[in-house]
Amino acid sequence: MLVLELMVVIFLASIVAGVIGSLVGLGGGVVVIPILTIGLGVDIHYAIGASIVSVIATSSGAAATYVKDKMTNLRVGMFLELATTTGAIIGALIAAYVSSIALELVFGVILLLSLIPLVRKIGEDIPVTPELVGLSKKLELTGSYVETDGSTVNYNATRPAQGLAGMLVAGLISGLLGIGSGTFKVLSMDLAMKLPMKVSTTTSNFMIGVTAAASAGIYFVRGDVDPIIVAPVALGILFGASLGAKALPRAKNPTVRKIFAIVLAIAGAEMVLRALGI
Amino acid sequence: MSLGNPDSMNNVISKVLRYGVLLSAAVIVLGAALLAARDAFSPSASLLHYDPNQIPHGPFPVTFSSLTAGLATGSPDAIIELGVLLLLATPVSRVLFSVFLFAAEHNRAYVYITATVLTLLLFSMLVTPYIPVFGG
Repeated sequence: MLVLELMVVIFLASIVAGVIGSLVGLGGGVVVIPILTIGLGVDIHYAIGASIVSVIATSSGAAATYVKDKMTNLRVGMFLELATTTGAIIGALIAAYVSSIALELVFGVILLLSLIPLVRKIGEDIPVTPELVGLSKKLELTGSYVETDGSTVNYNATRPAQGLAGMLVAGLISGLLGIGSGTFKVLSMDLAMKLPMKVSTTTSNFMIGVTAAASAGIYFVRGDVDPIIVAPVALGILFGASLGAKALPRAKNPTVRKIFAIVLAIAGAEMVLRALGI
Repeated sequence: MSLGNPDSMNNVISKVLRYGVLLSAAVIVLGAALLAARDAFSPSASLLHYDPNQIPHGPFPVTFSSLTAGLATGSPDAIIELGVLLLLATPVSRVLFSVFLFAAEHNRAYVYITATVLTLLLFSMLVTPYIPVFGG
């Protein structure tokens, strides 16, 4: 394949990845990595390097809109980033001592298992608002956003310690596997902290850029960020993410949760299959 | 626009992200256009065809000195890598700005939280790649 053709194909695929990723709070790596490796035969190292860049592009590209629309909860995001950045450093530290294959298998299975609680509340629109107590109250982990029909949704975050623990794992996985681990972030906010789905996905979107940036340095220095691959990925994702960010406010919470569940199932299956060498 | 106004925090952070993205996209577009132009007029077939087995496909800058050298000669690869670095810098600047925004709100707890995140982030990005125990 000609280099220019390759770049055009990657650009178009990345637009799709950017739209999906920005809607459900993931980095698009789940879409980009298999297209690059299985579809185009790109070496896995360059695919992961491109994936890291795609996470940052999805995050920054869509977050500009989500933050302006006040869909993202900035305080929740920044509070939880304490755990994701710590996790990313620990992950980088132990990366040499753990098997990435075993890790992918474990993480893939966790993702697939987390489909169960997710599917059980698949139709939920706005969670019952818990009382704001303890650390959540002290750190004002509360907020509101306006739906397109003009109604204001108020919500409080609960169980911040569990949220932090989930984010520590998310950061750890990012540091070890070079992914944004938006899946785990959305799950932590949705299942543990009981935030509305759209707040969970946009706040995850906001956070994954920082998580990915934390582990990006090492991939850059290793020479895994190949310009021929990364240029179309970054541009396509940025374009796709800005499209997704415009579409999300009109989407309903249950719809976003359904799309997330599908992407989660694919992401989990992808990791298990890769770990098993299939 | 008063920095103490909670609404302005969303606006400032949104602008930091938007400008960071636009700047990096512009630089990457320039690099990609130059790359396409170079390949389109290149007589060498090896440059035109992407061979996944040829790893890497060609030399590209991975250190700050090679990046600077590449930029000085207008190398498309170096320009793209610069754009990628600008993209990497975008979330970092967002955290940096939020430290000041929370300070302007006199929100002490969040000044500490964001300053800690910034420190951990910079350590992870810039220091760990060069420490052997981290696989650097």
